[in-house]
Amino acid sequence: MTIINIRKIGGNIINAFKYLEGYYTLLCYSVKNIPLLRSAPIRSVLYKQLYFTGIEALSKVAAIGILIGIVIITQIVNLVGSNVVLTGKILIWTVVRELGPLFAAIIIIARSGAAISSELGSMKVNRETDSLRIIGINPVDYLIVPRVAGITVSVFILAFYFQVMAIAGGLAFTSIFLDLSFSQHLKGIFSALKFFEVLVSLFKSLVFGLLISIVSCYQGFSVEASITEIPQAATRAVMQSLFLVFIFDGIITVISFV
Amino acid sequence: MIRLENIDTECFHALSFEIKRGSECKIITRSEYENRKLLNVILGLERPASGRVFLLDKETYALSEKDSCRLLSRIGVVLKDGGLISNLKVWENIMLPVSYHTGKKPEDLETKVKQRFNEAGIDVPYLKELIGRLPGPLPVHEKRLIGLIRAMLMEPELIIYDSLFEGLSPDMSDRLMQMTMNFHAEKQGRTSVYITFDEQSIKNVRADIILRI
Repeated sequence: MTIINIRKIGGNIINAFKYLEGYYTLLCYSVKNIPLLRSAPIRSVLYKQLYFTGIEALSKVAAIGILIGIVIITQIVNLVGSNVVLTGKILIWTVVRELGPLFAAIIIIARSGAAISSELGSMKVNRETDSLRIIGINPVDYLIVPRVAGITVSVFILAFYFQVMAIAGGLAFTSIFLDLSFSQHLKGIFSALKFFEVLVSLFKSLVFGLLISIVSCYQGFSVEASITEIPQAATRAVMQSLFLVFIFDGIITVISFV
Repeated sequence: MIRLENIDTECFHALSFEIKRGSECKIITRSEYENRKLLNVILGLERPASGRVFLLDKETYALSEKDSCRLLSRIGVVLKDGGLISNLKVWENIMLPVSYHTGKKPEDLETKVKQRFNEAGIDVPYLKELIGRLPGPLPVHEKRLIGLIRAMLMEPELIIYDSLFEGLSPDMSDRLMQMTMNFHAEKQGRTSVYITFDEQSIKNVRADIILRI
């Protein structure tokens, strides 16, 4: 029993390293081949990805952002009363430093991570990647490079959008229903906000975007011939994206703020 | 144009043949599976256990990924299922290789595409409707026709038809056959290869060489 478990753990560790190696190779290839976006058909894939991952998610991100903003501001006001400076600081610590990039990433993983890996997986099963190669188009160039760029840009913009909606929406709501001054709280936030914090937040969302896109595309492309592999690849894409996003969130937070 | 030297795979043993430039050739295999395998070996998608494949005088399996794609862009291949991309509309599918490899704009090729569809008996009102659809629900003869027109737009030196006429109505089969034979005659030195396991479906195709594998 012990031997079996050790073997299983060993196998999992080897698999994890194989995946990481694959992710790293795909990341390097995608970054190196960004100039391919000059080609009109590849740019068209990028625009579609920006639409599906970015623009279509705007309303959901706004709704979740406002709700999170309301919850956080209500809790802060309960805790510190009408202390404008402290409210601003706590809001920045929670929304800008952590929740903005993290929630945007989680929303994209839920909406697009599984969708992308399933789409690419079914293209592999239906031999559409072979069809692309037959017409002289490298499937990685055409299918993955624009998706990586599109998802990364989408997460980057949606994270910023989430933060704006959480802070502005949350403050607007509480100023109406809890009778707090919107402008005073906004001033408190701006006085507590540092450029470095915004920079770290944007950097996090950039890293999360790259992680989600690389993991989803890699898992989709790892499907070989069977249709049953597609849901398995989608599950792996979601779980591994989440896991890596949390790991990198921890690493960046520790390096930046400790 | 195409040269196979002592190819060994699970289906073929010591398979060798050569198709010269400008010829029209029929290749008849024993099954649909062998058809696909042979096509994969020729196009560099499935490395044989041993032997060498030459396509347009280049050794297919000795090329880098980039050079292999460049070589394939000079060849037209019409697959049995059309080989279309499911998330692109018909018009985008037709334009994909020509726009990717030559940078030509779709509006410059509109007339040419209309002419080709017209040859196949598709009128302008239906064409307008067709080009805006996704290929998934289309009947197989339309998928093959779209694949054929997509390949023709690239003006390839070598064109390979994979079971193009199999399972089609006699009328549609005749129209497509006429299109392929006219296309062969359009350019001096063009090579046309018909691969199928159903010999009956290509019995009316004119050919210089018939290979039974």
